[in-house]
Amino acid sequence: MSEEAELLPGTLDLLILKAVSLGPLHGYAVLSRIEQISGQRLFVEQGALYPALFRLVRQGLLRTEWGKSENNRRAKFYELTAKGRRRLQEETDWWKRASAAVSTALAARPQQA
Amino acid sequence: MIAAYLRSIARRFLRRAKIEREIEEELQSHVQLRADALERNGVERAEAERRARIEFGSRVRFKEECREAMGGNAIEEATRDVRFSLRSLRKSPGFSVVAVITLALGIGATVATFSVVNTVLVRPFAFSHPEKLLWIYSQRSDNPRTNFSLPEYCDYRDQITSFESLAGVASFNPSFADSGPPERVQGVRMSASAFAMLAVRPFLGRTLIAEDDRNGARGVVLISYGLWSRRYGRDQAVIGRAVNLNGETREIVGVLPVSFALPNLDTEIVVPLQPDADPRRNVRNSVNFLRMVGRLKPNVTPQQAHAELEAIRQNLQRQYPGAYTGKIGLTVVPLTEEIVANIRSVLLTIFCAAAAVLLVGCVNLAGISLSRAAARQRELAVRTALGATRGQLTRLLLSESFVLALVGGSLGILLEVWGQRALLRLVPTDLPRIESFSIDWTVLLFACALIFLAAFVCGIAPAWLLSRSDLREALVSGGRGSTGGGLQSRLRTWLVSGQIALALVLLANAGLLLRSFVRLSSEQAGFDPNGVETIRFSLPQTGYDDVGTIMHFYEQLHSRASAVNGIKSDALISILPLAPKSISFVHFTRADRSPARPEDTPSTNYRIVTPDYFRTMGIPLLEGRNFTESDDAEHPPVAIVSTIVAKDHFSDRSPIGQRILVDDTDHDPRPMQIVGAVGPVKQTNLETPAKADIYLPLRQMPKDGVPWLRNSAYWVVKTSGGATGLERLLRDTIQNVDPNVAVGPARPMSDAVTAALAARRFSLLLIGSFAAAALFLAAAGLYAVISYGIQQRNREIGLRLALGATRARILRMIFKEGAVLLAAGILAGFAIALGLARLVASQMYGVNEHDPFSFAVVGLLLSVISFLACAIAARRAMNIDPIVSLRSE
Repeated sequence: MSEEAELLPGTLDLLILKAVSLGPLHGYAVLSRIEQISGQRLFVEQGALYPALFRLVRQGLLRTEWGKSENNRRAKFYELTAKGRRRLQEETDWWKRASAAVSTALAARPQQA
Repeated sequence: MIAAYLRSIARRFLRRAKIEREIEEELQSHVQLRADALERNGVERAEAERRARIEFGSRVRFKEECREAMGGNAIEEATRDVRFSLRSLRKSPGFSVVAVITLALGIGATVATFSVVNTVLVRPFAFSHPEKLLWIYSQRSDNPRTNFSLPEYCDYRDQITSFESLAGVASFNPSFADSGPPERVQGVRMSASAFAMLAVRPFLGRTLIAEDDRNGARGVVLISYGLWSRRYGRDQAVIGRAVNLNGETREIVGVLPVSFALPNLDTEIVVPLQPDADPRRNVRNSVNFLRMVGRLKPNVTPQQAHAELEAIRQNLQRQYPGAYTGKIGLTVVPLTEEIVANIRSVLLTIFCAAAAVLLVGCVNLAGISLSRAAARQRELAVRTALGATRGQLTRLLLSESFVLALVGGSLGILLEVWGQRALLRLVPTDLPRIESFSIDWTVLLFACALIFLAAFVCGIAPAWLLSRSDLREALVSGGRGSTGGGLQSRLRTWLVSGQIALALVLLANAGLLLRSFVRLSSEQAGFDPNGVETIRFSLPQTGYDDVGTIMHFYEQLHSRASAVNGIKSDALISILPLAPKSISFVHFTRADRSPARPEDTPSTNYRIVTPDYFRTMGIPLLEGRNFTESDDAEHPPVAIVSTIVAKDHFSDRSPIGQRILVDDTDHDPRPMQIVGAVGPVKQTNLETPAKADIYLPLRQMPKDGVPWLRNSAYWVVKTSGGATGLERLLRDTIQNVDPNVAVGPARPMSDAVTAALAARRFSLLLIGSFAAAALFLAAAGLYAVISYGIQQRNREIGLRLALGATRARILRMIFKEGAVLLAAGILAGFAIALGLARLVASQMYGVNEHDPFSFAVVGLLLSVISFLACAIAARRAMNIDPIVSLRSE
């Protein structure tokens, strides 16, 4: 359990966008995909996923379509819109810059100060 | 347009339902997919589904969050709040029912009184720019509102510059005849210019035009909407019909609008004044029968107009010193004031009383909500822990009280709509403008505002409390003994004291009104109304040209009435007592002394009677003799005066046998001898002290008076009681003697007395009920606070009892608490009531508005009821078993 990291506030949306960017997914698959691409290190509370999905749909970053899951259950699939793709790019850039900055800061040694 | 709106609402609801279904389906599908995954890992299907559901977490909460994330509009958010509130209110049905009933009655009563206020005081008058319209009266030393003569009116009309126009108005109550039976109608003669001035539009046909007022113009008449409906069944073809008014043929040229009220709504016909064609045009000392109404020019103030009128008056007085004796000034009154001034304070008092009851009721509900909020602190704390923000909780509490106010208020509005007939029966019929009563948009808007206000008052206290208390602590301590508890009980004591204060104010007002009412109803009107029936009639224009013919007509009535079993006596009189709208007075002087200045000439009510009048009305003859049949034209003129005349003018000797000069003709005052003195009679209303009366025998009536009496007289009949169908009998008797006589409505004299008290009975009844309701609500509030306190301190009381406190001591403690609240409330109430007393002073009769007796009695009443409420609440404390209460903790 110690390997699991708590999600930083605001990162769930980014992760969802990333997960969906690889192809349309239904809700449960989004969760699995996040776990998979994070190397089983990030877990999302199952119920909490849906309000986030709805929010992204409302913001026009995702679009939805009802379809069949791999084991033939009816499910709602989420897909990135053009706007979503742009947002993902922006957020990813921002995240990289921010985390690099934080990492640099944390790696600082006393004599550099 | 409306259909489109409805469709969009429907679509929104359909969309909502669809979204709900989708959310549900999606979450369900997630759980199934998760269960599939678990099943693949070897978990049994049923167990897999169970685990999937648990892992998912609170489905209700996430659904709610999904909805929120979807965003929805304000309406949807509000409906969600309302749904939430309904759910929580359903959990405490007792509270909800009490709250809804309180609010329904409170809002219903306030809206009902407002609808009357709206009709009478708020709604615009039928005239354009009514604030520019002024009534002008001639002022005399003994009466500020008397009439002008025709030449006087013409002089003002021709000289005045402050008014756009100045119209003369005189009452004119002719007999109205067409092919049907003749009828006595009420109406006015009015300058044709008045219609342009008032900007009155006809309902049908036309109004009067300048042409109608010209010399020798064709005779025309306007009829009221009421007369048109009653007599012509709203037949459009009425225009152009010829009718006969007092024997004169006139053509109906128009129907007046429903709201036409000049001088009041009783007006049924209007004919042009034709001042310049009048034979009295230049007779300076002719009868005063006109009052004037004028429209100010723009930028002229009433004060300026008054000053100009006064200057003209003084000029006229110098010009005709003999003719305008006793006229000392002018009274100028805004037209709207004239109509509503007397009733304004009464109506506003009643309205405020209803609003106060609503306020007391709302405060009660706020108090209960406070206790509920305290008791629900745990629930609220849990909600906070689950992520509800303080704002959301406040919204929840407010929306609960909003739902209650909405339901209660809607019921209240329904009550008002259903009850409006009952309301109108309660309202005195002489309330001005009440005929046009209706529940309009203003009332509905007011009702909506009231609902919001009530919701706010009920909900703001608990919401405020919430914002002050530490919910986390509540969660830890199990909702007991948290800081909110102390705050909420302090708040509640304040609220209860406030309620007691308000209840006291209402009770004090009701007490004062009751005392006034009792004083007034015990006031002697000066006659005995029991068994006296009266009927008004107008004789036809032709065939009744002198006193003899009128006398002959009466003798026929008399002989027929005498033959009826149960009729004890009967008489004729020109004007009955307690007739507020009829005025007839004359000037007189003692023959042996003339007044120092002409304007000091005394005046007296002037009545023409037949000898049996005093016996019939039970007016006591105190000195001298009654009229006899030989007091006729062949004998010297005699008069009977009331004791007021004797007291005011013959303080040095008995009036009997004294000679007076009475100015009741167009000629010089006539001498007559006083032969008797009778008791004083209230001629206008019960409030006004009896003034001087002078009675003249019909047989000696001056010839000038014939048209006047022919136009309107009353036949009064005293029965031994129990006579039924009297109205029919009187009507038939008159019609049998002469079918051309126009007969007005019959009415028992006791009705006149009742009517004279009606307005006061109305306000007493309403204020009394409101005060009773406020008293009950305040007592209930006190009870609730005390018993809640006992409940909260159950353990403390148990402990005290266990430590040996006697129950009497506990009781003392509880009563002391109640007494403090009561004392605070009563003191505040007295202060407010005394402060407001000035505003109701005009409604008092024979009682000072600071009457200590009334105040003491209502204070006592309130205290007794409050202690009773404490006692009932304290019974609960008496039943506390220390063992049980200590163990239960």
